[in-house]
Amino acid sequence: MVKMNRKYKNVLAVGVGGQGLITFGRVLAEAAILNGTRVLTAEVHGMAQRGGSVVTHIRLGDVESPLIPLNGAHVIVSMELLEAARYINYANRETILILNKRLIRPNIPGVKMPKMDEIIEKIKSIGLKTVILEADELAEEAGSYVSANMVMLGALLGSKILDGFVKLENVEKVISKMPEPWREINIKALKLGYSSYSKNSY
Amino acid sequence: MSRVFLEQVGRTVLLMGNEAIARGAVEAGISFASAYPGTPSTEIVETLAKYANVLGIHVEWSINEKVAFEAAYGAAMSGVRALTCMKHVGLNVAADPFMSSAYIGVRGGFVIVTADDVGMWSSQNEQDNRWYGLHAFIPVFEPYSPAEAKELTKEIFDFSEKFEHPVILRTTTRISHARGPVQLGKLRKPVWGEFTKNAERWVVVPAHARKLRLKLLKRWSKIEEAVNNFPFNRIENPGSKKVIIACGITYGHVVDVLREMDKINDITLLKLSSTVPVPRKLVVKAVEDAEEVLVVEELEPIVEDKVKAILQEEGMSAKVHGKDMVPRAGELTLNKVADFLVKFLNVSKQSVPWLGTHQEVSIEVPPRPPTLCPGCPHRATFFALKKAVSKLKMKPVYLGDIGCYTLGVNPPYRVQDTCIEMGGSIGAANGLAVTTKQPMIAIIGDSTFFHAGIPPLINAVYNNTPFLTIILDNRITAMTGHQPHPGTGITASGEPAKIIRPEEIAKSIGVEYIDVVNPFKLDETAEKIAEALKFVEEKRKPAVIVSLRKCALLVISDARKKNIKIPVYRVDLEKCTACTRCYNVFACPAIQVLEDGKAYIDPMLCAGCGDCAQVCPVQAIEPTIKPGKEWEELWW
Repeated sequence: MVKMNRKYKNVLAVGVGGQGLITFGRVLAEAAILNGTRVLTAEVHGMAQRGGSVVTHIRLGDVESPLIPLNGAHVIVSMELLEAARYINYANRETILILNKRLIRPNIPGVKMPKMDEIIEKIKSIGLKTVILEADELAEEAGSYVSANMVMLGALLGSKILDGFVKLENVEKVISKMPEPWREINIKALKLGYSSYSKNSY
Repeated sequence: MSRVFLEQVGRTVLLMGNEAIARGAVEAGISFASAYPGTPSTEIVETLAKYANVLGIHVEWSINEKVAFEAAYGAAMSGVRALTCMKHVGLNVAADPFMSSAYIGVRGGFVIVTADDVGMWSSQNEQDNRWYGLHAFIPVFEPYSPAEAKELTKEIFDFSEKFEHPVILRTTTRISHARGPVQLGKLRKPVWGEFTKNAERWVVVPAHARKLRLKLLKRWSKIEEAVNNFPFNRIENPGSKKVIIACGITYGHVVDVLREMDKINDITLLKLSSTVPVPRKLVVKAVEDAEEVLVVEELEPIVEDKVKAILQEEGMSAKVHGKDMVPRAGELTLNKVADFLVKFLNVSKQSVPWLGTHQEVSIEVPPRPPTLCPGCPHRATFFALKKAVSKLKMKPVYLGDIGCYTLGVNPPYRVQDTCIEMGGSIGAANGLAVTTKQPMIAIIGDSTFFHAGIPPLINAVYNNTPFLTIILDNRITAMTGHQPHPGTGITASGEPAKIIRPEEIAKSIGVEYIDVVNPFKLDETAEKIAEALKFVEEKRKPAVIVSLRKCALLVISDARKKNIKIPVYRVDLEKCTACTRCYNVFACPAIQVLEDGKAYIDPMLCAGCGDCAQVCPVQAIEPTIKPGKEWEELWW
């Protein structure tokens, strides 16, 4: 059994370049600062962003390094299922997985793709607490598919794992500084994500 | 890069390392900043550019790192504080003025930021630019966090000015692209400079340079002494038998691992922010009681070698470890650091909760390399190029270059047989087209052409070297996040600028065959490329094709701003024959594959370029709304 230090939380956000992972990390980190919580993030720009596999590390609390160790994520938020499987080595026995039910084909001619149900089943079979939601559909409901990242952020807060580190209202405060229409859409997306976490938990 | 200069002094805000450096430079009172974009350095000058007018400072995207360096150096010669930023390999381009600047020195504080890409997230190598500091006698300072990056930047402007000497701020990707809380300090107003004539100081003819060299060595001794008291270096928990020397970013990693091991209060830790020159007295003091020392640094053993030399010279007997335990290639992670600290400190692996085996999912996860975006005009050019070449039954060598289009190395296109450095496509063609009988095609982006592609093209005209150059002109420096360049029509700070066209440059230097094509007309482009290739073959002279269409990401962002609907395309599944041409041969990432092999265009990803409709052999692809004139115009 992995006993993780209680003074910090490691959030690993993964997905495909263009899915809004940098914004995800930035909004969460800014909210942490409003909360008075120390935070460090690490992200990937440039070549690594062009539709490639993308990881953002967000570390809240008592840490000095921006990087999350393998086996050391308290929660993995994945915008895409293949990426969830790819970065599962950041999980330990206590890690919570929050996954978007979306599969994006890597742009490789003739690539052999596992089926969505198969990926989900294999991920579930490792026995971690896993929550799967349809973030793109929920974002569409909020006003734009672009806000799927905020749905996932809402779900992360809905998990309560960041209680004591980041309050939902501080995330709303950060989003409320965005221009319209994004302010309204993102707040809606955040709330939809927040409430759907418990609906999709099992 | 939202509010770096808008928030109140004293507030703590979240800043990216690069934003923190920009803030630090303005708190230090810079009047001038220049750079050529390059990951991971870009956001420093990008942040400054956004506020240049408000701050009253000059900020520019220069044509390349050499010019950026010279411009900022010129400013510092006049007595103002100046900043120039580049990625690690950019310093290779700027190496010539860099070497001289140490001899000549400065009047105003002059900070050279080199953002090293340890781990090669977006670069062709992971050179350690601290060597450059040793090579040129220019001190190197390294922060470990965004907050320290700001304070350190401020501090070393003073340091530079005190010694009238240039200094390097070295970051790595994990500093530049990390975010953390930073407390904002007061901004200092920029000032005017004035150049004071003094040939013996500013003109490095041999007679002067010999004297300047001696002065440089004297200055270096003073700098070697000064770093002993540099406020960002410190010894924590002095007196233990095992001592760790943590350089730059590695300090944060080491502290976190020691905390996990519950050893943070037991081990002597020398935190080093000035790594060139290594502060001798501080090292001696830190290792006084030590039996074993571990130097933790990424890449090369620069501090390690120096520490070994110092201990030998001082007659100290502690055993110094470094690259015998710390990996030399790639960036350090907490796992790697924990691995070697477990060994060095001789503690059990169980003391670090996350060391051990990790979870696995029992499916084969296909790789997901970066790819050209949906609607990328480069893809269209590559498709047309392959078509032209196959029509001519030609087997050319594709000489590649640095930019998004380097992704053309991957299947299905494979149109980057080489990639060396900025401008190396046209450069190497000058040799390959002479020593082989194979047709040579140099492929270079617009920004890269301006940066380093013009001299080798002049070389080709001068020497009559037969090859085709294709300039992929998307009107912007795309890979680094859309910085304007001389072909864009706007400056870094948003002023209108003259548009310099690549084909006009080609014309003015005497290229005889020049054509400008619209890559989205796939067949027409293929024909025009074929014509140009025939010209090269028959006339044995250089030819140039400019393939002109804006970056799709810009077009989509413009469309959103102007409320123009993107004419997303769709597949008629009745007509689709699952021939795979659109997703395997044209390979647009917006095209997904259904279970029966038929194509499905993801409306969230489609950029409305319409290329797939041209590629489809059975006309199964059509726009959901008819593309209007205003949509077409966005692409120019």
